[in-house]
Amino acid sequence: MKTKFLFPYQFKKVGILFFVPSIVLVIDLLINSREPNFLNLSVFAMVDIPFMQDTTTFGWVVNNVYNEIVGLGLLVGLLFIAFSRLRTEDEYIVQIRLESLLWACYMNFFILFIAIVFVFDLAFLYVLYLNMFSILVFFIAKFYWTIYKTNKQVDEE
Amino acid sequence: MKNSLKVERAKLGYTQQVLATKVQVSRQTINAIEKGDYNLSLILALKIAATFKCQTEDIFELEFDDWE
Repeated sequence: MKTKFLFPYQFKKVGILFFVPSIVLVIDLLINSREPNFLNLSVFAMVDIPFMQDTTTFGWVVNNVYNEIVGLGLLVGLLFIAFSRLRTEDEYIVQIRLESLLWACYMNFFILFIAIVFVFDLAFLYVLYLNMFSILVFFIAKFYWTIYKTNKQVDEE
Repeated sequence: MKNSLKVERAKLGYTQQVLATKVQVSRQTINAIEKGDYNLSLILALKIAATFKCQTEDIFELEFDDWE
């Protein structure tokens, strides 16, 4: 079975270049909620539901795009890291990738389950923010840890 | 599934890396197959048998647990 829809190997480094500054900016945004004023732009919105204001659907609104830029940087970075080919791809790596994805799904929705039961109000909104990306984080951690253990086993023999 | 991959390798003096290169997989895959950590595909089994110039049944053997 040949692997489909994976980015070339070099995209992993590109992913890291996107991920590192994005995660720093995300943490800063969560702590300080600072957005540069020059990023207040008129943007096209499929849906915009501002607090205590009229809803806009398929129209132009003024929005600060800082968190969108940072969020996209984080998403693209994680996607590139998660789904770039390894130097050597074969059926065993495909199986490890599939098992890691399954494990990441289980872990992600287990955390969400716990959050639904124990986290409330605005705090839950932060859980949802993190939940957008956590499945990729879990997958990357599990996949590369398994690859590392496998390589270490081979090196020891 | 049991296999005698290590024995067949030793007969021809192949390392795991040499065999891996011949059947176009990684050394990790050969290692995992030998340890029984991975059930290889039919294509790979046929490639390995062709490399050792024998039948797949000479290298790989079903165990009772495989029927569950």
